[in-house]
Amino acid sequence: MRKILIIIAVAWLVFITLIHAALNLHVFHSKQAAGGTDKRFRIGFLPVTCHLTCPVTDFINKQMTGESIFEPVRFNGWPELKEAYLSGYTPATFILAPMAIALREQGVPIKIVYLGHRDGSAVMVHKDSHIYRMEDLRGKRIAVPNRFSNQRLLVFRALKQAGMSVNDIELLEMPPPDMPAALYAKAVDAISSGEPFMGQTELDGYGRVLWLTKDVWPNFISCVLAVHEEMIKTKRDTVQRLVDGIAKSGKWIDQSMAHRMETAQFVSKFYYNQNPRLLTFVLSKPPDRVKYTNLTLRKPDFAEIEQLGREAGILNGTAHFEDYTDASFVTDETAVQPYAWEPNEQRAR
Amino acid sequence: MSSAHVDVSAENAATAPVQKSAAWLKHPDSLFWRIVRPVGMAALFLTMWGLAVRWSHSDLFPTPGNVVRGIFELMQKGLLLKYIVASLFRVSWGFTLAVIIGVPLGLVLGWYSRAFQAFNPFIQVFRPISPIAWIPVAILWFGVSDAAPIFLIFLASVFPITVSAIAAVQNMQLVYLRAAQNFGLSTGELFRQVIFRACLPQIITGIRIALGVAWLVVVAAEMIAVNSGLGYLIIDARNAGKRYDLVVAGMVMIGLIGLILDLLVRQLEKFDEVRWGYGKR
Repeated sequence: MRKILIIIAVAWLVFITLIHAALNLHVFHSKQAAGGTDKRFRIGFLPVTCHLTCPVTDFINKQMTGESIFEPVRFNGWPELKEAYLSGYTPATFILAPMAIALREQGVPIKIVYLGHRDGSAVMVHKDSHIYRMEDLRGKRIAVPNRFSNQRLLVFRALKQAGMSVNDIELLEMPPPDMPAALYAKAVDAISSGEPFMGQTELDGYGRVLWLTKDVWPNFISCVLAVHEEMIKTKRDTVQRLVDGIAKSGKWIDQSMAHRMETAQFVSKFYYNQNPRLLTFVLSKPPDRVKYTNLTLRKPDFAEIEQLGREAGILNGTAHFEDYTDASFVTDETAVQPYAWEPNEQRAR
Repeated sequence: MSSAHVDVSAENAATAPVQKSAAWLKHPDSLFWRIVRPVGMAALFLTMWGLAVRWSHSDLFPTPGNVVRGIFELMQKGLLLKYIVASLFRVSWGFTLAVIIGVPLGLVLGWYSRAFQAFNPFIQVFRPISPIAWIPVAILWFGVSDAAPIFLIFLASVFPITVSAIAAVQNMQLVYLRAAQNFGLSTGELFRQVIFRACLPQIITGIRIALGVAWLVVVAAEMIAVNSGLGYLIIDARNAGKRYDLVVAGMVMIGLIGLILDLLVRQLEKFDEVRWGYGKR
């Protein structure tokens, strides 16, 4: 009897391993089956508009040359994304700017090489609420994605502009995907995170924009592209190709509304697994809700983040612009040309 | 308990031809009623669920119909099978490793009291730590491959197995040991022929609980950036905007597969090797 059970158990393990390998790992029809080491490095990203250039670069490269320059790895939350970077699994990653700076302060060899976007965040309130100004948020609950998120700094800055302090509100941390439901259920009074989760509440008819980032902090930066210092030293040309690709896609997205709409389609379908309606909405209403040009690293932008980060108690000011950035990959953004790729007829539908 | 039901049904089958045609309606333990009770309960639950959603005018929380449509959508995309296979793969390996390590470890620690003294605090310290707390460690050690969720599932299921095996050996009836000593068995023979067999019923119970736990943690284990699995389905659906129908669809599939797994493990309790160990009510 015992023998039969062991045979059944072993047969099951072999069986389930084989179908898993065939269905999910695609071992049986792929070139990368044999090890697949290194040639393509991995980049971590989240399904938010702040990281949009990552899937766009991947997609356009695949369309133009049949092969991407990297392997995008989608995460679902900041902690996992950060841990994958720390473990070396993703040598490059899209990450919150203050988080990258804080990691640098803690001695992690991380260098910011390019910005991910500008603007592209908002503070949303429930449409039935009587909150119309920052002052109305006194004593209310505001959800932000993470203590290192720029949305938290954004709220700090808006409070300061309104002559209030963080003690006048209740801040709480919440993963962005859970925010729309929390606002719907009125569990929180206001939410703030990267798009498309803010646009979603507007699209579904229960959220109202209190303000967009462009209204409070023009040219707001939340996420940046960062790579491991070692990679810059040993594989400078690879990093150069990566940054060039990200810069070109940023320009490509902002080149025309048609490109933005196409982006909404293929990114929703192949990378974010969201309803294309959502990205279509946040990339067009208004068109400057989030921008992908003017992404070179500038010291004054980061000085402001450092300053607010110190005030918010998440940075201690031991890392400086020169430590945590390497701005040498794209020095003059006007020289960057968008990808020369146009979606063909079939795909455009 | 399950064996008791089986006995009753066997009696029914034997006496059925003698009774009149509507006997199955009158007899409270007939096959008919044994099916009607759980199905009726499920129907009642689904109706209440649907009505509750309707009455509360929630357009975020899905109705049972939305969930069924969500499951069909996943089937059409071919994702359902893929995700089920991925989750079963991870649970199968994590759980098998837990059995391979947990059972012998438990037997040894249960037998050698000094080893037990040394290891027990260690086990009791690790046992209550949730797999969610291990996620950072799993990512640092295994990256974002299948090995990380397998490790988490292993951790969650190895302790119930070990602890039940330890308890089984410690509570073993002395008469088996005395008989074995009279026959002058070697240590290896003692473990294989006497201790293991005497403890098997309790070990199987521990395994059944551990399989439940292993399947329970699949959502937490797949929170790591793997890109397949039923746990991933739930997390991915949260990313996808207003797709709570898929969240609940993932929950329903996990529940149904959990039910099937439990029914399968219960079959183990029917073998003669372990059946003697269970009281019949």
